[in-house]
Amino acid sequence: MILEAHGLGWSVRGKPIVTGVDLVVNEGETLGLVGPNGSGKSTMMKLLAGIRQPTSGDVRVKGEALRAMPRRAVAQLIAFLEQQAETTEAITVKDAVDLGRTPWLTPLQPWSPKDDLIVAQALADTDMEGFERRSWATLSGGERQRVHLARALAQQPQILLLDEPTNHLDVQHQLSILDLVAKLPVTSVVALHDLNQAVSCDRVGVLSGGRLVALGPPHEVLTVERIGAVFGVRASILTDPADGTHMFRFHPAS
Amino acid sequence: MSLTASQEIYVSRLGRGTLGFAALVVAVLAGICIGETPIPVSIVLQTLANRIFGSAYVLDPIDMGVIWNYRLPRAIIAACCGSGLAISGMVLQSLLRNALADPYLLGISAGASTGAVAVTVAGMGAGAISMSLGAFVGAVVAFALVAIMARAAGGGVTLHGTGQIVLAGIAGSQLFNALTSFIITKSANAEQARGIMFWLLGNLSGARWPDVWLAVPIALVGLAACIWYARALDAFAFGAESASSLGIPVRRVQVVLIGFTALVTAVMVSIVGSIGFVGLVIPHAARFLVGVRHGRLGPATALIGAVFLITADVLSRTIIPGQVLPIGVITALVGAPAFAVILIRGRRAP
Repeated sequence: MILEAHGLGWSVRGKPIVTGVDLVVNEGETLGLVGPNGSGKSTMMKLLAGIRQPTSGDVRVKGEALRAMPRRAVAQLIAFLEQQAETTEAITVKDAVDLGRTPWLTPLQPWSPKDDLIVAQALADTDMEGFERRSWATLSGGERQRVHLARALAQQPQILLLDEPTNHLDVQHQLSILDLVAKLPVTSVVALHDLNQAVSCDRVGVLSGGRLVALGPPHEVLTVERIGAVFGVRASILTDPADGTHMFRFHPAS
Repeated sequence: MSLTASQEIYVSRLGRGTLGFAALVVAVLAGICIGETPIPVSIVLQTLANRIFGSAYVLDPIDMGVIWNYRLPRAIIAACCGSGLAISGMVLQSLLRNALADPYLLGISAGASTGAVAVTVAGMGAGAISMSLGAFVGAVVAFALVAIMARAAGGGVTLHGTGQIVLAGIAGSQLFNALTSFIITKSANAEQARGIMFWLLGNLSGARWPDVWLAVPIALVGLAACIWYARALDAFAFGAESASSLGIPVRRVQVVLIGFTALVTAVMVSIVGSIGFVGLVIPHAARFLVGVRHGRLGPATALIGAVFLITADVLSRTIIPGQVLPIGVITALVGAPAFAVILIRGRRAP
């Protein structure tokens, strides 16, 4: 029970975006969050990361209320990969990944060779070695996404919150990043678009209209009926002859 | 003797620091030597030796007076204003993620002018400190107003809404300049009005030692604040939410740093009037030279700002023989084209 939400809600100008979510994330698991556009996935991620204050309920990390913790303490535990974080600054890849060490440094406890090692490892893990000197403006969308992930890894968090980390990535890097996240000895919550990717999570939560309508092992949660109800598509389940795993194919509802 | 990589970095940093400090000293000396009546460097150095180390060189007392009472404080004030305004611009650009942010464009200088003029005209002891306090209140009110306007216009501090805050700043500047004119017309006598108008355009000729004792600590405090918060400023590269997820208490850092910016701008405006474009142009020049990391960028910005404003002051005194141009004219002549370049480059950025 490393991360939990109770009665979590967030609304903007009286319009509820997330409503009454109760969620317990177990230590070490990879939890997938799926839901159609506008179902509240991104807001949910920001609430869990503590960068948005809930309008009702609360989030707890290791039993402690997130809103009562200093930001630095939160950032030492939780790293958050936003969607589409951009910059116009002329920064390099190394500059961007170095930022991940921010929560561990103070003016009196400056950068050390240990931080260099951590950054180098994060770049290696995300397949971005050799890009250190490249400027941000010259990177492709997928490369930027991998740099963001490297920055999150350099934070050395116990909890990794990833908002659609496979966006912009080619198929090889989609697989390698999900594989990397699954292998990391951390707890992760991953918002995903692709239901076939969600299948490989330990558990899956389904958001619809800001509510958590299902939570459990992928094969229990991602049923043809529920996919039809939540996403408005007709799904059929195929079996991969190579290894017997199930996968979805989607058709228009009518 | 061979050096390790980190020692080499340290040595090169030390070298750059020494070089920068030398540039500042040369600029100050040039600021003292060059003027309507040029004074040889040897006499300047002897005067400084007499005054600082108690040497006994025999010198013309008029030269000594000009050097010690007028030109040296003037050069020091120019350096402080240059670095203070440049640092303020850098902090605003980083926090608001806006390449065009600058205390002058965002109306902070105009608000500070209004505050300083109100205090002067109301006669609440027109000393440097009370004027600075008035200017500080004006600066904070002006920035708050501009920020509220920008937010209401849907701008705020996002990457895509950056135009709004500059527009709000223009509206704010106009409003506070109008208020300043109103106060002057309504309340100031003719002599006060002339003095204020001269000061408003940016003028270093009134710089004396008491102003130095105010300007130096404030400039140093501004620089220290941005070195202390260098990592926090770095963390704003990908926006406020990203900074927050990196452990930065965003709201507190914004309030503290914008407060410091308002303080530094207010004090500088109350001493020399509002000088535009220093805060806009200098940080960009510094980024071009030393990169975007604020640990290096802050000191570089302060240094280049100091040297730039001393140079601008020398130019303003010498470019038309027998006449002194307002220093704001020189900074605008450099700054306005630079503004255009930044605007065009920003458009080309992805």
